[in-house]
Amino acid sequence: MGFKANFSKRNADRFYLPGQEIRISRGVSLTKNYTTESDNVLTCRKRTAFSIFCFMFIYAVLVYKVTYVCLGNGINIDTAISSQQMADDDIIRFKNPVKRADILDRNGEIIATSLPTVNLYANTKQISNPQDVAEKLNMVFPEISYDTFLQKLSRRGAFIYLKRNLSPAQQSQVNNLGIPGLEFENCEKRIYPHKNLFAHVLGNTNVDNVGVSGIEQFMNERLTTSTKPLYLSLDLGVQNTIREALLEGVKQFNAEGAAAVLMDVKSGQIIALVSVPDFDPNENIKVEDRQMFNFATKGVYEAGSVFKVFNTALCLESGKVKVTDRFDTSRPVYFGSAKVTDPHGSHKMLTPEDILVESSNIGSTLEILQVGKKFQRKFFQSVHMDQKLSKVQLPEVAKPLFLSDSRWSQHTMATISYGYGISTTPLHILSAFSAVVNGGIYREPSLIADHQNKGKRVVSQKTSGEMRALLRAVVVRGTGRRANVEGYQVFGKTGTADKLENGRYNHKKSISSFVSGFPESDPKYAMIVVMDDPKASKETFGYTTAGWNAVPITKNIITAVAPQLNVKVDFDLEKQKSIVDAAYKR
Amino acid sequence: MGNIKTAMVVLWLTLTLIVALSSSVLKNKVQILERQLAGINTNIQKDIENIHVLKAEWSHYNTPERLRKLAQNQLSLENAKPEQIINYSALKFNNEGDSSVNTSMNKKELTTLVKAVKSK
Repeated sequence: MGFKANFSKRNADRFYLPGQEIRISRGVSLTKNYTTESDNVLTCRKRTAFSIFCFMFIYAVLVYKVTYVCLGNGINIDTAISSQQMADDDIIRFKNPVKRADILDRNGEIIATSLPTVNLYANTKQISNPQDVAEKLNMVFPEISYDTFLQKLSRRGAFIYLKRNLSPAQQSQVNNLGIPGLEFENCEKRIYPHKNLFAHVLGNTNVDNVGVSGIEQFMNERLTTSTKPLYLSLDLGVQNTIREALLEGVKQFNAEGAAAVLMDVKSGQIIALVSVPDFDPNENIKVEDRQMFNFATKGVYEAGSVFKVFNTALCLESGKVKVTDRFDTSRPVYFGSAKVTDPHGSHKMLTPEDILVESSNIGSTLEILQVGKKFQRKFFQSVHMDQKLSKVQLPEVAKPLFLSDSRWSQHTMATISYGYGISTTPLHILSAFSAVVNGGIYREPSLIADHQNKGKRVVSQKTSGEMRALLRAVVVRGTGRRANVEGYQVFGKTGTADKLENGRYNHKKSISSFVSGFPESDPKYAMIVVMDDPKASKETFGYTTAGWNAVPITKNIITAVAPQLNVKVDFDLEKQKSIVDAAYKR
Repeated sequence: MGNIKTAMVVLWLTLTLIVALSSSVLKNKVQILERQLAGINTNIQKDIENIHVLKAEWSHYNTPERLRKLAQNQLSLENAKPEQIINYSALKFNNEGDSSVNTSMNKKELTTLVKAVKSK
């Protein structure tokens, strides 16, 4: 080793500082720069002075800053807050105390919201004189009897509800009573500002604010986990216009009920969905079953001649039927003992357009006989006639009654071609109709505004274009004449079917439907109007068919709704000139 | 050496006093600001709640049924009819024959105006 530590007794009493006993021999070259005893003291003092200086410097800076902040205008509070706000935006943001999210229409109008309220409950252990308290509470809430209060207050418990959803005035009155044992619980109450208007779409919530029907039930988790409002595809104004037209129609034709759905054919979004009779979801009272029944999505029925639209479309799509073909409808078609006839008499040779215009059952049967049941069944499956519409965000959606393959006979194939054999909902019919006329793309209907639906092709663009032209003829010269709103090129098809009651057709009762679209050149909207058991009157000359009730209602709706929806009017030039002339001469 | 020590003690005491005083003032100011902040926060929370209720009330007063009644009774307004909406190309102008038609601008001026609006 090149050096040695000196631990000799001679030097043991000369230690001044800790560590000094570890001395290194001066004779060793590696230790040349190490300190002597006097150097160590000096170094120690220097280090202490340096530490004190550093400490004082920091302390002085601290003193300066604190003094500056306290006595001078060291901090601009506004600047400090704004910079902090910028940095901690999420911390400073205030939250709405209402927990259940609002529901808005496509334009941002509130259609369901919650208001903060309080519930009154009693801690009966603290109430010594229940009779007196019951009497006082009865004066504040005259709608609740003294006995009811007394019965509740006589129970032993720390949490007994006395009254839910108090108004601020009522809360103040109870507070003024100054009764110990009466407490308030914060809560919220769901309200629907437009009352009945969206009843069947929104549904309602129970006393605990949990959705029990409609969108409130279907989207309950979304509405309770996020406070962001839920935008629906519905339009408040359009919904109101349609509901009023339906109510007027129900009154005019003394119908049991009615339903209408308006859909954007390009996106599958539902713009309006109405079913009457309806109910006020604000009222927690028991209503009739019929009022609670959403006919538009749950009403399964045989639609009658409306199905001829699908029959013609699938026949044209198959390539086995062309628009120029002609069918001899002068004789009934027989299937064993069963025969297919036309209610309005035979029409001899009919083209597919005539079959739709005249609504010929025989013609529809002859068309489908050329195509076959396999193609027919496949088509109806492609437009979801065999399943529930799962994307419509409503729990009240019915599954159509779709026959099994074994029961799909030749005769069934024929009856289905003119609307008997498959029972389905108005919404199913409308979505399928929408696919037929929008260029051939089927999109499941949706009630959510930003819902993206690519859809799937069910018929070609060519077939779709041909179908629009054929359906336009129905409105121009067929059973849909009363829906021909000038300028909007309305097209559609009527259907009237006997009502099925307890497994039997009741020939005295019917369900009439009119499924339509506009404008023909570039369809934007499709609509179905269904009347449940409309009655004949003098105005309808004793008829109960769709052309006399559902069709004029559709006209009223389109006339009012199309300008609201900004649909471009397409008058021919001559008509336009006459309108302009009339306007200037006014 | 003794003078330095005294000076140091005085310096330390002065600094400590200043810090103590300043801290006290600072604490006081912070307490005042915290009280103000709590008051402001409470008010904001109440305002948010009130705005929420007002929105519901606004929606209640803007039901289409009520607005239509008001528009009909107070302003004599009716729903727009299809024939009230017309294509631009169908409109008549001063320089197009019919002299009885009195419009305030000709087609050229209107086209320029439409282009200007579109460019914006």
